[in-house]
Amino acid sequence: METFLDLWAAYGSTVTFAMVNALFALSTYAVLSTGVLSFTTVVFAAVGGFLAAQLSGKFGLPLWAAFPAAALGGGFAAAVVAFAFLRLESHWMALASLALVLITRVTALNAPALTGGVNGLIVPVRVEPLELAILLALCTVVFWRLHRSWFGLASRAVREDAAVASTMGISPYRIQFIAFLISGVVGGLGGAALAFTLQFISPETYFIGIAFTMIASTVLGGSFHWLGPIIGAAVFTALPTTMQAIVPQIEDVAKGVVLLLIMIFLPRGLIDPRAWGLKKAAKLREETEAKRAAERDAHA
Amino acid sequence: MRDAGSLLVLDQVVKTFGGVAAVGGLTAHVRQGSVHGLIGPNGAGKTTVINLITGLFHPSAGSIRFNGAKLEAMAPQDIAATGISRTYQNVRLFSGMTALEQVMTGCYLRRGVSLWSSFLGLPAASSAWRSTREQALHLLDRVAMAHRADELAETLSYGEQRRIEIARALGSDPKLLLLDEPTAGMNHSEAEAVGRLVHELRDAGLTILMVEHNMSLVTAFCDSCTVMNFGRLLAEGDPKTCIADPAVQEAYFGRKNDADRIQALR
Repeated sequence: METFLDLWAAYGSTVTFAMVNALFALSTYAVLSTGVLSFTTVVFAAVGGFLAAQLSGKFGLPLWAAFPAAALGGGFAAAVVAFAFLRLESHWMALASLALVLITRVTALNAPALTGGVNGLIVPVRVEPLELAILLALCTVVFWRLHRSWFGLASRAVREDAAVASTMGISPYRIQFIAFLISGVVGGLGGAALAFTLQFISPETYFIGIAFTMIASTVLGGSFHWLGPIIGAAVFTALPTTMQAIVPQIEDVAKGVVLLLIMIFLPRGLIDPRAWGLKKAAKLREETEAKRAAERDAHA
Repeated sequence: MRDAGSLLVLDQVVKTFGGVAAVGGLTAHVRQGSVHGLIGPNGAGKTTVINLITGLFHPSAGSIRFNGAKLEAMAPQDIAATGISRTYQNVRLFSGMTALEQVMTGCYLRRGVSLWSSFLGLPAASSAWRSTREQALHLLDRVAMAHRADELAETLSYGEQRRIEIARALGSDPKLLLLDEPTAGMNHSEAEAVGRLVHELRDAGLTILMVEHNMSLVTAFCDSCTVMNFGRLLAEGDPKTCIADPAVQEAYFGRKNDADRIQALR
């Protein structure tokens, strides 16, 4: 028990941040798994974060009510974004989403009544790691169900070849719109989780840092299965801290190096169901050939 | 009226790409319950016609009517819902999906449950999923691919991938099946098997429009055909008569005079 408490004292905050980052990564994965690269998770997080902070700070809303409000806020923002952005082609969409992240920060800085402006907001409520774990588990169940449903199958088809999917009766617009809604809800929850963890937020909280973390986690873990972003966020959050214990001041270097290594050697991420299928096929081929060779030897 | 008994009617269909007419005023009729060949030399505009029918392209002028619906302004997914399904000239299966998942995706239109109830995993949705899975396995069996159901489609041979694509196209239970060079890259016995499957499907009530280069297959398996050249209609009707038509012969093999002149130059 004592060793556990020691470990928790050393790595507790890492675990907490890994869970928050997992929410951001899942939000990115939600749209990426339908073929849309979008940085708007940061925007949904800002909406959810400030909404939750204000509701709990000014109106004394408890956690269990603030989180659903943040989810709704993120989802609503996502509906607006999807309506405006889904007419753009993929690379323009990525750029437009980045522009929206910049606009959001400036808007937040200039709306002190809502966000506290440059001074930021103090968040009076704290989320316990166990509560965060429950939230992440609930989100994971949603993604697990989605993966095994008609939506999951349709989104894989849309991601791989939207034109072919459309000739099979799948509307890419509809699938990607739903994906944005999911991304908004999970991004809003992540924003609130971050607010209740840091207990102080400002417009700078929801900026490029989150964008980098969520994209890196999704690339690292893999964007072809819901487990990918969760594993990715865990590794990406834990690695700098554990490395720091060995070599101090390595944090930023380690992040960059890991990202480079992954992109070179595992471009599809750590969790890649397709790679398992390819391995299975190669093994099957080897076995058939060995069997044939054995038969030939028996004849000879 | 030629239109009576026609499931699909193309009327003066034009498709231009930056001033070049890939299809220049094509009129064609596909009779209900027939196997109709769409033939012509390379670049005649056959695949463009398939893309126009399925809504991947929209015609610049003219109309396409299918079973009472006007397709020319519809989105691909709405056209698919009217009962049209297709395969592609260069196999376009989804990367990372097993053979069974490909065909399941093809069954999207007849899943019978909403996305929402499928997500919730309601009992009705689960049983609908299982029965769709059974149908998909049955379709794979029809193209003799059931033994490969759980393998990644991209690890299979070209001919096998083509057969999976046909099974995927059948997933939506279409009224009209468009096959774009279904036997390309297949050996003779594989091509024969596809021809037999096409006949079985026709006898079960399906109408088939197929682009095919192999003339012996066209005469053996098509009930009627449309010959195109440079985006225009060259001949229409019985396959044997069409192929014997001097204009068709010329489009495919060149002019007798030209051949003689080339011979003389040697």
